[in-house]
Amino acid sequence: MVEAIAVETVAGMTPEMIAATQMGLKAVGAGLAVGLTGVGCGIAEMGIGSAAVGAVAENKDIFGLALLFTVIPETIVIFGLVVALLLLF
Amino acid sequence: MLRAKPMTRLFMAGLKEQMAPVIHEIYRHHLFHIHSFSEARGEDYEGFRMGMPLPGAGEAATQLVTVRGLLSALGISRETPESFGRRPVTEVRAWLEKQLPLIRNEVENEVSKKRVLLETDRKKYEDLLREIQPFEAAPLDMDLYQGYEHLSVFAGHIPRDVEIPAPHEKFFNDTVPGRFIVVFTPKEYHLKVERTLLDSHFRAVPIPAGEGSPKELYKAYDARLAEIRRELASIEEKAEKIRKAHAHWLLASEELLMADVEQKEIPLQFATTEQAFIAEGWIPAPEAGSFVSALQKATGGKIFVTEVPMDEVPEQPPVEYDNPSFARPSELFMDVYSRPKYTEIDPTILLSIVFPLFFGLIVGDVGYGLIFLAMSYGLRRYLTGPEGRMLLTNLRNAGIATVAFGILFSEFFGYRLPWGPILFSRHLNIGGEAAAHGPLIPELMILSIWIGVLHITLGRIFGIINHAQQDHGRHRTLAMLANAGWICVMWGILILIWSQFALPLMPDLTGFPPVILGLNLAGILGAAALVGGVILIARDSVLEIVEIPTIISHVLSYTRLVAVGLSSVAIAMVVNFIAIETLIEPQLENLTAVGIIIIIMGVLVFLIGQLLNIALGLLGGGLHSIRLHYVEWFTKFYKGGGEKYTPLGMIRRFTED
Repeated sequence: MVEAIAVETVAGMTPEMIAATQMGLKAVGAGLAVGLTGVGCGIAEMGIGSAAVGAVAENKDIFGLALLFTVIPETIVIFGLVVALLLLF
Repeated sequence: MLRAKPMTRLFMAGLKEQMAPVIHEIYRHHLFHIHSFSEARGEDYEGFRMGMPLPGAGEAATQLVTVRGLLSALGISRETPESFGRRPVTEVRAWLEKQLPLIRNEVENEVSKKRVLLETDRKKYEDLLREIQPFEAAPLDMDLYQGYEHLSVFAGHIPRDVEIPAPHEKFFNDTVPGRFIVVFTPKEYHLKVERTLLDSHFRAVPIPAGEGSPKELYKAYDARLAEIRRELASIEEKAEKIRKAHAHWLLASEELLMADVEQKEIPLQFATTEQAFIAEGWIPAPEAGSFVSALQKATGGKIFVTEVPMDEVPEQPPVEYDNPSFARPSELFMDVYSRPKYTEIDPTILLSIVFPLFFGLIVGDVGYGLIFLAMSYGLRRYLTGPEGRMLLTNLRNAGIATVAFGILFSEFFGYRLPWGPILFSRHLNIGGEAAAHGPLIPELMILSIWIGVLHITLGRIFGIINHAQQDHGRHRTLAMLANAGWICVMWGILILIWSQFALPLMPDLTGFPPVILGLNLAGILGAAALVGGVILIARDSVLEIVEIPTIISHVLSYTRLVAVGLSSVAIAMVVNFIAIETLIEPQLENLTAVGIIIIIMGVLVFLIGQLLNIALGLLGGGLHSIRLHYVEWFTKFYKGGGEKYTPLGMIRRFTED
């Protein structure tokens, strides 16, 4: 209680406000984690994907391999998603 | 299971007179995968040449072209034959001899030629109709548009009427779509008028030849077109009659001729001398005995056939899957990646079990699972090919697993079922669905990490077995030990973590007293496994050391099983919240006219949102599950690149001996 009052006098915030701010910042962090990793993934897959489509157009047999190459960077966004989930819950 | 079908290498030699009966016998059995002879095969084969096709190959090929021409002219499809039954080969040959020339003449003269002429006419008159149609908007006869020496004529569409700054005669009609304008002007003003018109976005139309009023011309052309269509229809009737009478014969003769051509060209893959031939190839081991005796019988014992010991053969045998029937549809996924080599483990059966489980774990919703099940049966009508069927069977299995995990997770289109989650809860705190406690994220994550650790360990064990079977000498030992090293490093890291942190669902090894460097007994054990593993890896290849972080990234990659699933749950719950709780339910309390519109909007949001989520679930569930196999699992042990087993012969549908 003493602590809470001290905080209130120092920052002009109640404990509820602090908790809400923390939650909000967590949400921002989670959003950034997913968003930025998504962008990273997109950039990485851009080059691979276009090359893979070109290669498949020349030889249909390597479709599986091409798909594999294309989805390799996808792990990045999964990590982002995992971090976001751990942040939020 | 876990292995390709065992193959035996056969070597046969005989006199050239025996070639025809031998080929006939090989073809009939549909078992022999021939290894083609090439003239650059080395000293053992000096003096041998590639064989020549059997006599009659050219004639059969010509006839085949004729039959295929007839099939396409009559529009007979091989895909969906009405239940015809099969016809004896002798009858088909007699039919080919007598009937084929007659039908060919009939189709050529009565159908094909006439059809081509009429189709050309039809196109011509359709074009004429299209061209003349705009001119109905102007009150002029068609002959007034052409044949001038000193006048220019403009006709076309224009967005609005326009002032022409030159002597002219003009007709404008704004009642027709696109509006129509005709301008006559002396030749010397041609450029000026053209520029004015183009500035007003004038689009010229070609002026068709003809005399008299456009309306009457249109009528005449239309009548002629109708007549052409009638004639075409009567030709189609004739074609239908021929099709009804001869479709089966044509399909049967195509099959027979195809088999003829293929058989007659088989000697191209034999090695021959003046008098003799030899052939080599593979046959499934259990069939070898009966196949050899059948060959002996067909030639009266005049052919030499022997099994070649495997270690004398430079090539790897072709690969035919040997799986129980429930695992066969998953062979599709194997072939997409690459067919296994003969000597390596064929993981199809594990894929067929684990893939649906992963899929179910990701989507895990009774409602979506039922929709996938319905799709797998509903689409059977459209995907009739063998590969399509395999895909649908995989979808069915995935659907069943999805329903099962939906029951465990207690989910139905994002709503909870009457009972609570049996497995860890995935219900998020969204809207009125906020549960007593939210999702058990740490537990779910660790569950997926356990799956990853076990899956990868299994992959590495397969790697050890594959190296044991495929490699020789020192490299074999090193490669096997390196794979064991990878397992040690992974489990070493795990034990180290356990010795430092107490995690849910994992053994707690923090209880031991610290011994050295803050590590307790378990920690030292883990560190030892890690260091030992790294040494084993480095002994095989030092460069592999840089790959060690992939252990962590690959294991963590399995968390997608939970992460992708949770995002799909979140989408479903958000859609439900927006559609039902915020749009529909408040309006139902006191119904108004506006309220009904909002309710309809709510229903639309619900349908579109859930549809989107189903599509995402199908794509995400399927792609992520198969990716975990391809990238995280196969890279541990699987190479692929085996040759497909394609025996000589065909599956006969329309003919029989």
